[in-house]
Amino acid sequence: MLNELASPYGDCDQKLASYFLQALFCKATESGQRCYKTLTSVAEKSHSFDSARKLILKFQEVSPWTTFGHVAANGALLEALDGEPKLHIIDISNTLCTQWPTLLEALATRNDDTPHLKLTVVVTANIVRSVMKEISQRMEKFARLMGVPFEFNVISGLNRLGELTKEALGVVEDEAVAINCIGALRRLAVEERGGVIQMFQSLGPKVVTVVEEEADFSSTRYDFVRCFEECLRFYTLYFEMLDESFAPTSNEKLMLERECSRSIVRVLACDDELEDYSSTGGECERRERGSQWSDRLKEVFSPIGFSDDVVDDVKALLKRYRAGWALAQPHQDETGLYLTWKEEAVVWASAWKP
Amino acid sequence: MMKGGFEVVHATLDMIQPHHEPLWDFASSVAFPTSSIPIRQTVENRCVNLERNELSEWVEQVTKQLIDDLPPEPETRPDHSSSLQDADTSTMICDDSFGAPLLPGDFSRPRKTIRRSFLDGNGEELQWSNELGTENKLTRVDEQGLSLITLLLECAVAISVDNLGEAHRMLLELTQMASPYAASCAERVVAYFAKAMSSRVINSWLGICSPLINYKTVHCSFQAFNNVSPFIKFAHFTSNQAILEAFHRRDRVHIIDLDIMQGLQWPALFHILATRIEGAPHVRMTGMGSSMELLVETGKQLSNFAKRLGMSFEFHPIAKKFGEIDISMIQLRRGETLAVHWLQHSLYDATGPDWKTLRLFEQLAPRVITLVEQDLSHGGVFLDRFVGSLHYYSTMFDSLGAYLLADDPNRHRIEHCLLYREINNILAIGGPARSGEDKFKHWRSELARSNCFVQLPMSSNSMAQAQLILNMFPPAHGYSLVQGDGTLKLGWKDTSLFTASAWTSSHAFR
Repeated sequence: MLNELASPYGDCDQKLASYFLQALFCKATESGQRCYKTLTSVAEKSHSFDSARKLILKFQEVSPWTTFGHVAANGALLEALDGEPKLHIIDISNTLCTQWPTLLEALATRNDDTPHLKLTVVVTANIVRSVMKEISQRMEKFARLMGVPFEFNVISGLNRLGELTKEALGVVEDEAVAINCIGALRRLAVEERGGVIQMFQSLGPKVVTVVEEEADFSSTRYDFVRCFEECLRFYTLYFEMLDESFAPTSNEKLMLERECSRSIVRVLACDDELEDYSSTGGECERRERGSQWSDRLKEVFSPIGFSDDVVDDVKALLKRYRAGWALAQPHQDETGLYLTWKEEAVVWASAWKP
Repeated sequence: MMKGGFEVVHATLDMIQPHHEPLWDFASSVAFPTSSIPIRQTVENRCVNLERNELSEWVEQVTKQLIDDLPPEPETRPDHSSSLQDADTSTMICDDSFGAPLLPGDFSRPRKTIRRSFLDGNGEELQWSNELGTENKLTRVDEQGLSLITLLLECAVAISVDNLGEAHRMLLELTQMASPYAASCAERVVAYFAKAMSSRVINSWLGICSPLINYKTVHCSFQAFNNVSPFIKFAHFTSNQAILEAFHRRDRVHIIDLDIMQGLQWPALFHILATRIEGAPHVRMTGMGSSMELLVETGKQLSNFAKRLGMSFEFHPIAKKFGEIDISMIQLRRGETLAVHWLQHSLYDATGPDWKTLRLFEQLAPRVITLVEQDLSHGGVFLDRFVGSLHYYSTMFDSLGAYLLADDPNRHRIEHCLLYREINNILAIGGPARSGEDKFKHWRSELARSNCFVQLPMSSNSMAQAQLILNMFPPAHGYSLVQGDGTLKLGWKDTSLFTASAWTSSHAFR
């Protein structure tokens, strides 16, 4: 019955029905891995620097979903690294470096002494790998323009984020290290998360910024029904947000929805055994809520609150978008900031120090 | 959502009354002989632009090659080239260059042929865009479009031989690559066909398949379609003309509409009937459809309209399929002249079993049956339906694409809620009726074959009506109107999409 009404080109409910049905079908026919592989390889083939860039920029234009994390993280980074002459920011995210121009500008204009910035970007998704060359050229050019001494490294040889090692990052003694994880930790296999966080600590960073989407596909991973419900809850929010932010016949919106469809297949229809990763390819996609990440991070780090200045910056950012977006600050036990859409928390941003 | 009362459409047009002196006021380049009605008349229309880079022509060429490559089937060859086949019996415009199939040599390298003609057509295409005077580019079937369609065809073959795993894989690819918002019509068509086939694969696997329609959405998109495309009005006005002629000098009339929907057709006819010189007849209408609630609403609207015209009117809703009712449900009355009207579509199965429908026609023996058919076969095996509908809907998408912008939400609604629904239905397991029951290929042939019916050639007045409608819809030079064999056909470029015909009962003199 669902099959008749569902359509990836209809309204929100129809789209969700269509993609979830696809995932269920994959699960029921035990073809999840294969389907996921096909979907991702096709997506990679049809992406180019221009299309990826256009997509991200358009999304940032119509929705603060990603820019929220950028502004909060940049604010925390700048404050924690203030006064340091040599900065090394390790960026583990797939945002195509759209976060960094504002930071570079801030570095250039804030002090008399512009620090030297080394940016190491870790990418794993094949889609992003192919465009990094273009991006590195642009970043270097921009830094020259800003007058910021700049060094840009890309670590792209990894199949999975879990393979990242301390050595590969090339941290040097006198650098002030910052680690920026946007939508990154969820890509780690659940069992590896603790280990990688420990590895971060061993780098001796001055600040770690973590931004994640607020959903729990991780604690429910052995309970299909609950996981399904949580997926549905989260993606319903996300799709509705997309629907209200983009024009109805937007191709960019379609691309983002398709990205979700791949994640949905990955979470619901693929097994999560570590050994399977090499055959599945791609990343885990099992998100956790802010409170869950906090529990993990608290084992080796302590939270930094966001200063009033940063909070003001975020509020100013949200004003630039349509109504419906708000900032929620933490209650007693919570850390970080939440971006809310129609009063539901959707994105969590936090900052940590050793 | 237009839920208000009806407006009289084309109030300024005089619907032509039979046997009156022609007071036609239509600006057209067509010259009509007014004395007699020639049966085989080719209408010269403005479409003489032999654009070779249209999606539908590509599809035809590529599918021809595909069919040729397949091992011979025991069933009859696909009848997808209905327009070309009809070229035998009626003369189509531009038929000497197009109607003739390609030489066998061309099949071996269809891609080369296509690319060459694409380049040739380039100059003309630019000219066309300038003519339109807007930013609308004519749909160009590019590399991407070609590879998508080829993959789609391979997928259809996989489905037809039950290789669902392979089909599913290909569909995953297709659904990621093709966007229904694309500028290229080819891509849009592929997006929807791929989705329809995905549904089918899932249904095959599930083992069950039942159609579910949201009628309100369908009717809404139907109205949107009516506003941008002449096909529906063509059906309405040519049929109305035939009915009007059949009702000449009759004062008690009864119309049965097999799928009345919102009854958009009837206000125009009522207006003419109400203002007839011999006075308005008493009109009874039996409206059939799927939902009693919607039928009652339609009935109310029509009654109000008739009242405003001062015409006496009765409405009977029957929420059943025509082929599933008994003649007693129709309540025939003595002295009434009966007209049965049927505008066929593929959105859902409106009438039920075909043989029962035919039998009921015979029992009713109406004075006129007005039939408008899609030039598309609902019967046959999957691959036949696939090829036929790919050609048909590519043409339909082309016609929309020539007029509407790529990001027009109306266009999206029509393509998604109306055309896609039809595609999905046709490709579904068991065909549109979901019963696997064989549907007639051509109702016209069935009626002709039956001893009970005689064809009434569509009059020149009907033709005039059609021409007037075309004048209202740009780009008029894309649509092709053909009269032949007593029927009227409206299509896009050289593919006929709808055929209107009229029939009378050989025994009827009600």
